[in-house]
Amino acid sequence: MFRFQSLDEDCTLEEEDEGLIEEEDEIDQFNDDTFGAGAIDDDWQEEHKRLAELDERDGLGAGLGFGGGGMGGEPDLGGAGDSSSARLPPTASHLPLPSSLPPLKFSSSSPGLPQPDVEDRAGGGGLAESLARLILDADPAIAGVGAAERPGPSPSSSGSSLSALQGLDRSRVLPQPSSIPHQHPHHPQHQLPPGPSTSGLPPGPPPSSMLSYQQQQQQHLLRRGPAPMGQMNSHSIWENSMGFGPVSVAPGLVTHMEDSPLMSIIKEVGLPKRPPQGRNDEGRDLSERVPPPRSSSPVIGSPPVRAVPIGTPPKQPMSHGLNHQIHHPTAVHVRAPVQHRYPPPFPERLSPNTLLNIANSPLCRGPFPPGVGPVLSQIQRAQLLNSQVAGFPRGGPAPPLLPGGGGFRPFFGPPPPHGHRMGPPPPHGPPNHTPPIRHNTTHLHPQHRRMLTQRMQNRGGDRSRTGGDRRSRDPYSNLMTQKEKEWVTKIQMMQLQSTDPYLDDYYYQNYYEKMEKRQERERDSSKKEHTTKLITPQVAKVEHTYRPVQFAGSLGKLTVSSVNNPRKMIDAVVTTRTDDEEKREKQVWNKRRQILYTVEKMYSLLLEVQDFEKRFMQTPEEDREALLEQHKTNTVQLCNSLREKEWDDRVSDEQCVMIMSVRKGKRLISRLLPFLPSPQAAAIVMAIARNLPALAKKDKQDQVLCWLVEPVSAVIQSLSSSALTDLLQELQGNEGQLATVLHNKFGVTLLYLILSEGERMQSSDPNCQLMDDNRWTELVFSVTRELLSIPTSSLSPPLFTPPNLLSLLSRYVDRQRLELLQDKLQISALSR
Amino acid sequence: MNYVPGTASLIDDIDKKHLVLLRDGRTLIGYLRSIDQFANLVFHQTVERIHVGKKFGDIPRGIFIVRGENVVLLGEIDVDKPCDTLLQQVSIEEILEEQRLQQQTKQETEKVKMQVLKDRGLSIPKADNLDEY
Repeated sequence: MFRFQSLDEDCTLEEEDEGLIEEEDEIDQFNDDTFGAGAIDDDWQEEHKRLAELDERDGLGAGLGFGGGGMGGEPDLGGAGDSSSARLPPTASHLPLPSSLPPLKFSSSSPGLPQPDVEDRAGGGGLAESLARLILDADPAIAGVGAAERPGPSPSSSGSSLSALQGLDRSRVLPQPSSIPHQHPHHPQHQLPPGPSTSGLPPGPPPSSMLSYQQQQQQHLLRRGPAPMGQMNSHSIWENSMGFGPVSVAPGLVTHMEDSPLMSIIKEVGLPKRPPQGRNDEGRDLSERVPPPRSSSPVIGSPPVRAVPIGTPPKQPMSHGLNHQIHHPTAVHVRAPVQHRYPPPFPERLSPNTLLNIANSPLCRGPFPPGVGPVLSQIQRAQLLNSQVAGFPRGGPAPPLLPGGGGFRPFFGPPPPHGHRMGPPPPHGPPNHTPPIRHNTTHLHPQHRRMLTQRMQNRGGDRSRTGGDRRSRDPYSNLMTQKEKEWVTKIQMMQLQSTDPYLDDYYYQNYYEKMEKRQERERDSSKKEHTTKLITPQVAKVEHTYRPVQFAGSLGKLTVSSVNNPRKMIDAVVTTRTDDEEKREKQVWNKRRQILYTVEKMYSLLLEVQDFEKRFMQTPEEDREALLEQHKTNTVQLCNSLREKEWDDRVSDEQCVMIMSVRKGKRLISRLLPFLPSPQAAAIVMAIARNLPALAKKDKQDQVLCWLVEPVSAVIQSLSSSALTDLLQELQGNEGQLATVLHNKFGVTLLYLILSEGERMQSSDPNCQLMDDNRWTELVFSVTRELLSIPTSSLSPPLFTPPNLLSLLSRYVDRQRLELLQDKLQISALSR
Repeated sequence: MNYVPGTASLIDDIDKKHLVLLRDGRTLIGYLRSIDQFANLVFHQTVERIHVGKKFGDIPRGIFIVRGENVVLLGEIDVDKPCDTLLQQVSIEEILEEQRLQQQTKQETEKVKMQVLKDRGLSIPKADNLDEY
């Protein structure tokens, strides 16, 4: 805007003339040739003088002096028009001067400009200049202006302001009261007596102040144009284009922008192109240039735009008063500051190393080795602190809460709510909102890097360990910067976030629980060490349903999709096949699958049932009811799954056998038995006994039937005598079943269990009903018979031999047989 | 210095000499320079070491970027510890020749075996990496 000074006098006056025109009607009336051929080729200067005299005469008494002035000024435009037309192309899309409000109105239809001219650049500023000059020149005019504007609703000023307003409105600019005096200085001549209310108020300050305000606005706007992206975080992408030449601004958006006519001009015209020497204006330099915005809005989640060329040194000294220790940040600079669109909590220009130092130095002020000098370059500090950060989490308690959750938002989805904890040292949290730029990290020239490392070595070479020495001598070390390391760690930590640690990280949690219990037992309760514990962030479960970004009021979806905001191409609907359909398919082939499927379903129920207690302890009081209910339902469901389809009360043999034919099923049953109600458990054991030969056959490969021993023994011990007898009977079953049973380890064990239980019953309770009917005795007899007859080789050794077996057998068999049995079964009298 | 106590992280391994075994059987030795969340590795001054019997040979390879999924195992090398006295280093040509011979003999034995089995009407199917339940 200061370039206006280079323009000659003619332009000044011309702009002044064109500013006279206020209303389009009048313009049209008198200046239809403004934009075209046929412009009158008058000497506009003379015309202007004529008109000025006219105005003075007219404006004295009339309230609408301004209007008259406006009218008077119009014929001047005709003269002005010719010279202006030289600059105005017929399309009226070219604004000769920024101050040319009338042409602005004409050009309302064509907001865009292909190439702003030199005059355009001077636009807003030039107007201010001219205004200032005019004001200073015409003191009475100022007085008039001041008087006019001071009483707001004074007729003359209001009238003039109205006309001014109307004129301005046509150019789609919201006028402000401040803009009105703007108009007045244009026409000091015809405004001399603004009306009856003439006062001697010193009008100097207000107009000039207003002018200066305008100037400031312009300056601010101009400066804002090529400003880095970071300052524009909350503005829409439209406003970003302010800095890049002529801009086509949507009509609606103009209204909420700066609404002085100057600003409107600038908006229409676009900001001036930076002249070559403008680079040094106001202390700006190359690194503040910004590339044009990307087509995909970064708000949506594309990678951040790198506003500064890589490797540029920091521009100005870092403005932080926190640390006196940080000297000369410009001296060594590994990474240019990241310009991104999200408001960082720290000043933008800080490099990661600086941030690191800021964050770390208050905390780690102590632990620097004695050899360290007071002045360190950033890299050295980073290196040092790197090696010492380990001390930080180890010594202290669990890391404090971080407010840094919001930083993940741009790239990692909705932020976790307050209250999540981070493993890595908290100071690193806030500065590291964004991951590093995803391109070549070795942006430093190798020589540069070598120099840096050498410098670091020179200053701190002898104080680190040999390992560190080697590392420092390695010219390629620290290719991966601290920030990157933290980034990777952050990602790893994010992967650890879980809503239910007992579910997601079961083994880890259990392991640490056990370890803690063990430690508590071993150690004194007085000294409790705080071992470093990984506290995974506990995140509330947030449903991350993908919702593609949509702009309100736009038709359809985004045309741009990036890696972070992919576009949903297909609406895939999941259709689940029902169980019936499954059955209708190839049954034979699917049978095994079906079994496995059933087993899996039961397993998940079982796991829930098993975890019930733990969860019960954890849930708050009010939720416990619900949990209990759910637990019961689960249990019932489990029971039902074992039942037959037709009869609800009987355990389905077939189902059990089916389940047990799979290895996992056996495991399932063994885990399930303790949770079942006793009649059902008994029934299952019966079923097992009944079908033992089949089971044994199927188990040949897996040999895992013995998993069942423990739960089955528990069940057996809870059986009644009649049930026990029944069980024994089942075990014996048909002819030859017992032989098969005895072949199998589990079978033998089971048998022994039953017998031992019977014996226990008999010996403990004299009134037991075991002997009431002869069944038990007969069964035992048959067992002993079988035992005696069977060859020893085919008798498989049991898992364990109950001690009271001998006493049982002695009850039923004679001595001779007893001895035989003893030998066979290797039961010694001592094993009692 | 583990940022995340209680977990395994490669951060501490950066700038140290490592040996990595890849899924295709190659052994690489180099300085680990950079990692990422997938455990993709950037190796510097990499050397591919081929072992044949008691001999080994080093082929310098420069900079390697290994995709994380192809890593079988990775271990740090202690540079201070004396190198294996059992193994004998030979030149590259020699080790490559040895490797070729080894492959050749292996193929021949395999062929013979298959032939013998075929004669007896047996066949051992190749171990495919299919998941069977």
